[in-house]
Amino acid sequence: VLNRRCVEAAVMTGLALHCHINKKSLFDRKHYFYADLPAGYQITQQRVPIAVNGSLSYSLCIGNKMSQMVTKTVRIKQIQLEQDSGKSLHDDTRSQTLVDLNRAGVGLMELVMEPDMCCGEEAAAAVRELQLILQTLGSSQAVMAEGQLRVDANVSVHHPGEPYGVRTEVKNINSIRFLAKAVDYEIQRQIKELGNGGTILNETRAFDSKLGCTVPMRDKEGKQDYRFMPEPNLPPLILYDAKSLPANMNHQQVINIDWIHERLPDLPSVKREKLVEQYGILPEHSFTLLNENGLAEFFESVVKQTQMKPKKVIGWILNDLLSYLKQHSLTVKESPVSSFLLADLLNLLEKKEISSTAAKQVLAELWKGEGKTPLETVKEQKLELLQDQKELEQICQAVIDGQENEVIVMVLG
Amino acid sequence: AALKDWLRSQVSAALKEGRVTPTELCQRCLALIKSTKFLNAYITVTEETALKQAEESEERYKRGQPLGILDGIPIAVKDNFSTAGIETTCASNMLKGYISPYNATVVQKLLDQGAVLLGKTNLDEFAMGSGSTDGVFGPVRNPWSYSKQYKEKSVPKSHSEDKESNWVITGGSSGGSAAAVSSFTCFAALGSDTGGSTRNPAAHCGVVGLKPTYGLISRHGLIPLVNSMDVPGILTRCVDDAAVLLGSLAGHDPKDSTTIQDDFKPFELPNLTDVSKLSIGIPKEYHAPGLSSEILALWSKAADLFKNAGAKVVEVSLPHTRYSIVCYHVLCTAEVASNMARFDGLEYGHRSDVKDSTESMYAATRREGFNDVVRGRILSGNYFLLKENYEKYFVKAQKVRRLIANDFVKVFRSGVDILLTPTTLSDAAPYTEFIQEDNRTRSAQDDILTQAANMAGLPAINVPTALSERGLPVGLQFIGRSFQEKQLLTVAKWFEKQVQFPVIELEEVKRHDNDVFQHQKSASFS
Repeated sequence: VLNRRCVEAAVMTGLALHCHINKKSLFDRKHYFYADLPAGYQITQQRVPIAVNGSLSYSLCIGNKMSQMVTKTVRIKQIQLEQDSGKSLHDDTRSQTLVDLNRAGVGLMELVMEPDMCCGEEAAAAVRELQLILQTLGSSQAVMAEGQLRVDANVSVHHPGEPYGVRTEVKNINSIRFLAKAVDYEIQRQIKELGNGGTILNETRAFDSKLGCTVPMRDKEGKQDYRFMPEPNLPPLILYDAKSLPANMNHQQVINIDWIHERLPDLPSVKREKLVEQYGILPEHSFTLLNENGLAEFFESVVKQTQMKPKKVIGWILNDLLSYLKQHSLTVKESPVSSFLLADLLNLLEKKEISSTAAKQVLAELWKGEGKTPLETVKEQKLELLQDQKELEQICQAVIDGQENEVIVMVLG
Repeated sequence: AALKDWLRSQVSAALKEGRVTPTELCQRCLALIKSTKFLNAYITVTEETALKQAEESEERYKRGQPLGILDGIPIAVKDNFSTAGIETTCASNMLKGYISPYNATVVQKLLDQGAVLLGKTNLDEFAMGSGSTDGVFGPVRNPWSYSKQYKEKSVPKSHSEDKESNWVITGGSSGGSAAAVSSFTCFAALGSDTGGSTRNPAAHCGVVGLKPTYGLISRHGLIPLVNSMDVPGILTRCVDDAAVLLGSLAGHDPKDSTTIQDDFKPFELPNLTDVSKLSIGIPKEYHAPGLSSEILALWSKAADLFKNAGAKVVEVSLPHTRYSIVCYHVLCTAEVASNMARFDGLEYGHRSDVKDSTESMYAATRREGFNDVVRGRILSGNYFLLKENYEKYFVKAQKVRRLIANDFVKVFRSGVDILLTPTTLSDAAPYTEFIQEDNRTRSAQDDILTQAANMAGLPAINVPTALSERGLPVGLQFIGRSFQEKQLLTVAKWFEKQVQFPVIELEEVKRHDNDVFQHQKSASFS
């Protein structure tokens, strides 16, 4: 039985990626024998998938400066719905295989991209953007480490002007960083191989994250004939739009593409534009904000609660808060400093009640999460900026008086 | 009182009025099952649970709150339907000892209405066959082999010949269910019909066998043979009962995406008296090679019966009939190959001891678990699904299937209401003769009159018509328009009334004498 939520997720994703949604798509059985495939076949969409011909735009930094960003596009060939298989765990020491069937049959969305990317960095950036899109749509949490987003890289090399070379498929990539590494390694390996007069086999390779290289995977049986057959238990999937929706349809039984389109949330690219426009921050700032889960919301929340201009707030968010979070491997949600506290602190700074150096000190104290307010901390550590000019003069004079020699040296030099 | 009313005025009423209790009824049936054990109709008899269900039913009747017309009625289910907590074997080594964790939707529906499940009936392994002879639990014997009617007509070849040697087959693959109903051990049974597997044994065993329109009754829990053709089949002793069963089973099932969404309204069959507005079609291609002269004559007689009663009887043509057997075999084996892929010994069922590798374990398990018939079909099916053969065979067969279905559409559109055809080529063959040819040959021969209805998804019913010269039942088939079961059954009921098919006279049943059964045995349809 087809899972409605899966279809909706696929349509949303297809729309977000500017795909053509096929109003009629079909299901097929792909047959092969493997311990983690309990039915002996996988239900997929080989003939007519649910969405085709889309595109994904992503940004790359040129060189080392964050400030020079370039927009690239990768074409989306298709999105298809299919079933997940179980998981096999090979126990070589006991010569046995353990099969976990818990996820067998669960719905998957497979996104196939065209070979429009040229290196690990591009692949990583594209996938990162895809991740953000999926998370925004709610189609998937897309956490690679948890297997919610699985990426297989197909890599080939060719001389400019010549047709594409033989490709290999690289599997077992568990993070975006490893994706970039795997792709770059494989490119180099192929170049080397061809340079030595060798050939590239159309094979499946696994990425070994420890060694940082790809190795041939256990060969499943040479060329496989999957004996595709239409899935007889699932009628063709018909999707409607506002025009084609029949009048008396029970709306529980149908999916209206236009209805879904109207309710699509703002995609990351739109969100970034809005942040830049609304707060006057730099584009590369908006990227960082969106790149960290919850950071953009935190930023906006602080901005609301403080008089400090967003352009200044952003520095505190991206430089101070973010580095603390990274240092302690915390997520924004886990931050001991709430947006309220930070806003409070920034207000003190803005009102010139403390210096920015003092502010950093207070932040360090707040980070300990002992529940003190910024004001309390300031008072405790006597960090108040002296507003009284005379008092200041006295202190300076005292210092100077105590350091006569130094002063002379300074005045002269 | 007449047999045809057993559900309403007979047994149902008897239950309601307390003239018989569900427990008594259940016990009688169980006892009869025991004394007809030689028929080998049941693979599993669920004595304990049946009695418990009967007790619960009795409680409900005592409180005056029966669940419905089927409350307390003993039924049997073909062993390819999943039954929770009860072994489901499909008559195969592959599933010997397999206990289903859930009930098929149709089984659940029957239980929800208080029906008493007596047991699981025998079949050809995985429902592949037309004799009910190729299951691992042995062949099913046609109760008519032991009937007075058959014994009178059969000429013993030698003095010492006993009933062991010239018993006849039930037909298949739902032979166990047909035999169970025919021998009075239950009041109705579920079979399955992919190419005729309900109608064929119904014809040979002298019972009503209904194949509903594809998509009307849920297949959830019916271990699949050919997903695009399988339907649960209904076997009963009269057409009215079939209508009641249909009413309790039909309707959309969210667990089966191939069931139609439309609401189904159970119906009571009218007593048709005027057939003058009816148009009966006689497809000339169903005068198939091998059709016995007896059946041909009977078919003709039936056509005349309608004509004389005022109906319009016309000869029609279904030109693609002769391609249907081959087409069926391609599509059937392809789907079988796919559906059987799940039996790998890992999750359930038989697992071979061979441990060298996954592949070798799979291969050994499947060789040990499946019989030749099943393996043969899997191999053929996989051949047709190979990339290089897919277009030539599978796709072509689908196209031919469309042509066959269109033949029917055209005929029905031309004003014909119901088609009348023979169900089988001849009466039941003796077992020793039947096994002279292999399963594939037999299926090819026997399915010829029934499987087009499966290809087109149309409803069809076998109505027992008369006894052959050998004293064995012969039935005729009515094929109707999609989802027009009411019309189909109404006509079938009229025909049933006209022909007054005799009741089987079985010694074993005589011995289980009691009021209820006495009424059952008396033949006349009033």
